[in-house]
Amino acid sequence: MILCTAIFSGCEKDDFCTKDPVTPKLVLRFYDANDRDQLKSTERLSIWAAGKDTIQTYKSVALDSVAIPLNTTTSETIYHLKINDFDGSIASNQIATLTIQYTPEEEFVSRSCGFRVIFNDVGFSTDTSWIQDFTPALLTTIDNQSTAHVQIFH
Amino acid sequence: MFRYSISFIFLLVYSLGYAQEEAMEVPAIEKDTLVYKTAYGLRLGADISKPILAAFNGNYTGFELVADYRIGKKIYLATEIGFVEKTSIEDYSNSTSKGNYIRVGFNYNAYDNWLDMNNEVFTGVRYGLGLFDQTLNSYTPNVNSLYFPSESIDVSLTEKDLTAHWTEFIVGIKVETLRNLFVSTSISYKIVLAVEDPVNFKTLFAPGFSRIFESGTGFGFNYTIAYLIPFTKK
Repeated sequence: MILCTAIFSGCEKDDFCTKDPVTPKLVLRFYDANDRDQLKSTERLSIWAAGKDTIQTYKSVALDSVAIPLNTTTSETIYHLKINDFDGSIASNQIATLTIQYTPEEEFVSRSCGFRVIFNDVGFSTDTSWIQDFTPALLTTIDNQSTAHVQIFH
Repeated sequence: MFRYSISFIFLLVYSLGYAQEEAMEVPAIEKDTLVYKTAYGLRLGADISKPILAAFNGNYTGFELVADYRIGKKIYLATEIGFVEKTSIEDYSNSTSKGNYIRVGFNYNAYDNWLDMNNEVFTGVRYGLGLFDQTLNSYTPNVNSLYFPSESIDVSLTEKDLTAHWTEFIVGIKVETLRNLFVSTSISYKIVLAVEDPVNFKTLFAPGFSRIFESGTGFGFNYTIAYLIPFTKK
């Protein structure tokens, strides 16, 4: 009986959360403002949320696509996106602000993955800095990150 | 002198041969008309593994009564009723299932006993029904991000009167240790027929069924002591 108890308690952990990511991130893609079908990498891009440190993976990088997390405990996340396509000095930094407003919703996935958060009624807005335009301004829901959510033209 | 000894040896040989002949004589087989009768009646007991498990596991409380009634030489009508309260602690959720259950079905004894012994190696089938409440105590949204970390949220959301239906296949042994006192152990494989889930959550554990695996199956274990109230002998 002790053996059986040991066996049954031993196989308690039967499944692992293989779904990755569970909670979707916001995916931004950068396009050329003059040729809107053409991807255009950012120069020395750094991203940080208002009042927080720079995201480790986005510290002065050249990328045409980024995935950034949204704060699931609030209904608004403000991101600052810095680029520098001039000489890399602080004086020539260009900082844009992207504000994302949404209604977070918790959704049960599975025993091992638990609850994820999806974002409904998502609205985007930017100040007029290096981001010349973006689309769309509204999204019904963000429940995956397999494709870009926002196209940013610069 | 030698003449006598030779004839004595002959005598010995003859008698040996005679004795052998006698031994080889096949005795007539008498048909054994003695039939060993075994008791028929109601067997009542309890699962003692569940209180023991409860004593060692603070997240579990369980109690189960078992009964079977012999309806044929090898067939028993069998049932179990019980109560379970179990808290399932997962990586991202903490929930409690609490409720009652009943299982009914048959056991088939595949063991041929010696004489009037009453032991069993049995297989069985059951239909199971569980009625329970499911409470989501707390959860941590799985945000897979350290940039905006999530914290555990206490909710205590209870969904009452949920049901689960399932089937079971059992194998086990029963041993009559003292007269009419049986010790039995068995394992079971369970398959969900239908289970109600709370809104935006899942029944991870159902009383009587235990842990529900992703595939809708589960395992059970019983260790029972039961007393036979004999009604008749057949």
